[in-house]
Amino acid sequence: MKENIWSRMLNLDRRWIFLLIGVVCTVPFFVPFGLPVLPTKNVISIFDYVETLGPENAIFVSFDFDPGTDPENMPMAVAITRHAFARNIPVFFTANAPLAQGMLEAGFTYVTNPNIAGYFHIVSWQEWAPYREQGITRRDRLQAAWEADGNVLPENASGWVFEGRDFAKLGYLPAFALVIMGMTSSIEAQYPEDMNGNPLAQMPMLQEHKNLRDVDLAATFSGSAACMWWVLYAGDTISLPIAFGVTAVSATDYTMYIQSGQLVGQMGGLRGAAEYEVLLQEAGYFEHPDRAFIGMDVQNAAHLLILFFIILGNIAYFAGGFHKKGALLKGRR
Amino acid sequence: MYETLGIWTAAIFTLAVYSFLYKENPLYRLGEHLVVGISLGYFIVVTYTQVLKPRLIDPVVTDSQYILIVPALLGLLYITRFFPRIAWLSRYPMAFVMGTGMGFGFPRSMQSMVLKQLQATILPLYEAGMPAEVVIGNVVLVLGTLAALIYFFFSKPHKGLFFGTGSRIGIWVIMIGFGATFGFTVMGRISLLIGRIQFLLNDWLGVIQ
Repeated sequence: MKENIWSRMLNLDRRWIFLLIGVVCTVPFFVPFGLPVLPTKNVISIFDYVETLGPENAIFVSFDFDPGTDPENMPMAVAITRHAFARNIPVFFTANAPLAQGMLEAGFTYVTNPNIAGYFHIVSWQEWAPYREQGITRRDRLQAAWEADGNVLPENASGWVFEGRDFAKLGYLPAFALVIMGMTSSIEAQYPEDMNGNPLAQMPMLQEHKNLRDVDLAATFSGSAACMWWVLYAGDTISLPIAFGVTAVSATDYTMYIQSGQLVGQMGGLRGAAEYEVLLQEAGYFEHPDRAFIGMDVQNAAHLLILFFIILGNIAYFAGGFHKKGALLKGRR
Repeated sequence: MYETLGIWTAAIFTLAVYSFLYKENPLYRLGEHLVVGISLGYFIVVTYTQVLKPRLIDPVVTDSQYILIVPALLGLLYITRFFPRIAWLSRYPMAFVMGTGMGFGFPRSMQSMVLKQLQATILPLYEAGMPAEVVIGNVVLVLGTLAALIYFFFSKPHKGLFFGTGSRIGIWVIMIGFGATFGFTVMGRISLLIGRIQFLLNDWLGVIQ
């Protein structure tokens, strides 16, 4: 077939497309468009549910993903952790795989990193031992006693988080589906110690929430079907409310579980995380949204470029006569 | 110091992997192999410190809980896969894991993924006082589910009003589902790229906030 503009367009070296995508995904970081992100019903329902919880409740945040889906799952897990910490809701952190435990550490470090504005200042299990020995374990009394002793919250921090009172890092255990099932009877039986070797039995948050029946929400962040374990072994078994944070690829696979009432809600991909960040900002928890929101400008720009290429490809396909039988094969190099 | 070293290593290997987009090269191969090797190394360390030591070695050595040696031996039988003459022994731990998994998983999967989903499609198409959008949603959901199921019913030819029209509507419903999944997939892939670019520009170069 004779070489013309249409055949050249269809035979464009794909590396030009990669380069353009790379450029389009970089520029908005320097020149943000500031396009709005409107929260959707499935994300609002999770946010609203967490809003009903407080220090007397407890939630599970399960890091069920590995580095391969970190850019999508991490912002979601970070957003819900920050929300829970801001409301002093005790959080049990778990991971369903060894690599997921690395993600748990990375996410927790991000939320408690003093170099990031709005971080949460950790008070370790050992640091507040004297207060425990005096029987001060209630969240409000503990913070009051801690601050009365001259501990001042750093200026760029959002609040204190007391290990064993506000959070417990339980980490990874093998055969995690069975671990979930076991935790419906006793969390301590599955995790006698946390990742730092602190005894769970002595932790106030465990004494108040001995098993999953005493817990108010399990939020699982996953890049695989492992998130369904929470539905199978806890959600539908003991009516534990479950929230999903899943990758965009699998978002449509689990939407049906919201309609059936098996999920509180679902965050799908980077967009879901950005929506949660917007809700946190609108509710006044944080001044600015986090990384997912910033990424949405880039996402929009990349989608526009892809749409442009799809339209251009179709124009070349039809205008060049490649829709006729056999023409495309002859036109392709 | 170690954090800086980690960031530089991650940045160099990120670029090495993306260099594949230009063409395959040894640096990309190195990055690919290191991901697999380091992941496995990390896996082994975490499994030892989180599982084997506190739940097997320590209880047996310090608390004399010798009963734990039984599941440990069962687990060790997996290694017999490397020795063809006794490889058949590895079937015992496999059978144990699969049997347990089926026993626990099957009834719950039926309950959560089949029965509850079936229940969720048994909806009233119209009730007095029901908002119009709910009526439309329910009709689409019920008829869409039926049409998609008809498409996969191969015992009758797809002809006539019920099977013919039903399967044609069904394929549209399925295609809309695939379209939504594909759209989300594109979004997901771009998100992964965004994550790496954010890392390079923020954590590595420090040129953006």
